[in-house]
Amino acid sequence: MDQQSLVSLTLILLTFALYIGISVYNRAKVTSDFYVASRGIPPVWNGMAIGGDWMSAASFIGMAGTVMILGYDGLAYIMGWTGGYLLLTFLLAPQLRKYGRFTVPEFIGDRFDSNAARLIAAIATIIISFTYIIGQLSGSGVVIGRLLNLPASTGVMIGVVVIAIYASLGGMKGVTWTQVAQYLILITAYIIPIIFMSLQVTGNPLPWLTYGNIVNELGAIDRELGISEYFAPFTESDRSQFLALLFTLMVGTAALPHVIVRFYTVTTMKAARWSGAWALLFIALLYLSAPAYAAFSRFIIMTQVVGQPIDELPAWTEPWVNTGLLEIADTGGDGILEWEDLVINPDIVVMATPEIANLGVFVVGLIAAGAMAAALSTAGGLLITISSSFAHDIYYRLLKPDATDAKRLKAGRIAIVLATVAAGIVALDPPGVITQIIAWAFGLAGGTFFPVLFLGVWWKRMNAQGAIAGMLGGLGVTLGYIFLSMNGIMLFGIQDTGAGVFGVTANLLLVIIVSLLTPPPAQHLQDEAMDLRYPEQMTYKDGEVWMNDSADK
Amino acid sequence: MRKVEKATADKYFRIRTIMVIIFLAIGFAVSFGVAFFAESIYEGGALILGMPAHYYMGAQGAVITFVVLLFLNAMISDRVDKAFGIDEKQNEQISGGASDH
Repeated sequence: MDQQSLVSLTLILLTFALYIGISVYNRAKVTSDFYVASRGIPPVWNGMAIGGDWMSAASFIGMAGTVMILGYDGLAYIMGWTGGYLLLTFLLAPQLRKYGRFTVPEFIGDRFDSNAARLIAAIATIIISFTYIIGQLSGSGVVIGRLLNLPASTGVMIGVVVIAIYASLGGMKGVTWTQVAQYLILITAYIIPIIFMSLQVTGNPLPWLTYGNIVNELGAIDRELGISEYFAPFTESDRSQFLALLFTLMVGTAALPHVIVRFYTVTTMKAARWSGAWALLFIALLYLSAPAYAAFSRFIIMTQVVGQPIDELPAWTEPWVNTGLLEIADTGGDGILEWEDLVINPDIVVMATPEIANLGVFVVGLIAAGAMAAALSTAGGLLITISSSFAHDIYYRLLKPDATDAKRLKAGRIAIVLATVAAGIVALDPPGVITQIIAWAFGLAGGTFFPVLFLGVWWKRMNAQGAIAGMLGGLGVTLGYIFLSMNGIMLFGIQDTGAGVFGVTANLLLVIIVSLLTPPPAQHLQDEAMDLRYPEQMTYKDGEVWMNDSADK
Repeated sequence: MRKVEKATADKYFRIRTIMVIIFLAIGFAVSFGVAFFAESIYEGGALILGMPAHYYMGAQGAVITFVVLLFLNAMISDRVDKAFGIDEKQNEQISGGASDH
């Protein structure tokens, strides 16, 4: 084992020990601890935990590379994954918090008083979270495989064991504080290398202010090479695909069950609004840094790697070529490495650039630990969501309403272990690259849930039939379009990653049409929806609003 | 428990709804709006912080706007709640009692 692997591994093991320590310290004792951390998390910390939960292998490992390769077209990910928090915080989170349930399927089942809707929502939640977790596990496989010179599949297995242990021990309370720690580690690991790169390239330590000139210079380099300019819009895809992807990512963000459940861990609607604001601030730190990371990486490759003799390649290339994620072919036949000769998988950019720029073993190791933090923290939140859909919504609310606390906790833990193992098996041979798998999860979440949650909160006339038709139709259309477009059948130039546009539209129309064609929901259900318009202290009852001035109950 | 005038309750809901519409419209304009016209902005050649303006909006401008909007929303909503006599301590007690069932 060389020095680099040793340093990286030590850092990863130290951070793992920290996560497991936190999760054991905060071990869940009762059910509400397990799922919603007893609703006692202050907004700033909850915001940070949402940040850790949210920023996954796709954000940490995949995004900068995607922007670097796609240029402007990659920015749909930056805007989409942040803009979703507007929809979530304005339209859903505070209202869902006031409704006060444990999970998304539970809201859908109770709001429409329908066990069929509850079951469909629970199954859809499991499908969405499962798709998402495959991306995380294959991300951790890439990192561990590269570090230990192991096959990525062995790396996946190591990750699976660690995730299953801490998620099943700690539950949501353990995961919340673990995610705070993971956020701090991943953001440090992401920002330190770009500060060094900024110093190296421009002499200024504030990358966010300096990379603009680099972007402009990259355009000039591209013009010289005769390829389309780095910042030119819509060179890799149509404008319609850009807008469809942006829409899918935004709406999907607002409808992902594992993100929404984070807003159940706060105390009030007010706290939900502040949690959303803090969360986006912490998330923005990384998302504002990713385009800088991309610009510096591309600049360093363009100026220090391209143009070198092909038989004197630097040492960093060899292990990456061995992983199969970097290909070098002398297409020009002149012995000089050209931009066209490099086939770079976007997933390696974040990991490889610090090596290329010679930032030292410590920074490279830190990146590896940060990448693992990103993959594990998201996987932890996803597993809690899968476990609660199964143990709470299906087992407790549908099958065994008389189950004791202890039995439900046990069912939740069994679900976590089963889901981790199953996802691990799929991740051994992942069906796509990380960002693509994750984009499917967003399409499915938006297409299945967004219109149902949005109208469920804001439209009292919506009923169970509308909800069921919307979820099934949206899920079906999204899945159908993903398969069709993967086989080359596309509408308006929109690819599989933009499938959410069609799913959401179908879902919205079905909800409205079917609800209007069927009888209105019972009066108490309509009253419950009206009640969500006001803060906790105001209650809507029989067409009147009541103010509760003394909360002594 | 005391009754809230219908006009007052409706006013509360209307203020909150108008805020949501305005904030979402701004958010939509800086993301979808700019992306829709990206080609014309690109040809216009304007620069922000040294990079082309459409690229800046995608990479930084939109994200910063989103963060500002969310903090504005949280702060203004607190003021609205205060103006309508809402006490956050009572909210906490009520939601703590009502939520677990």
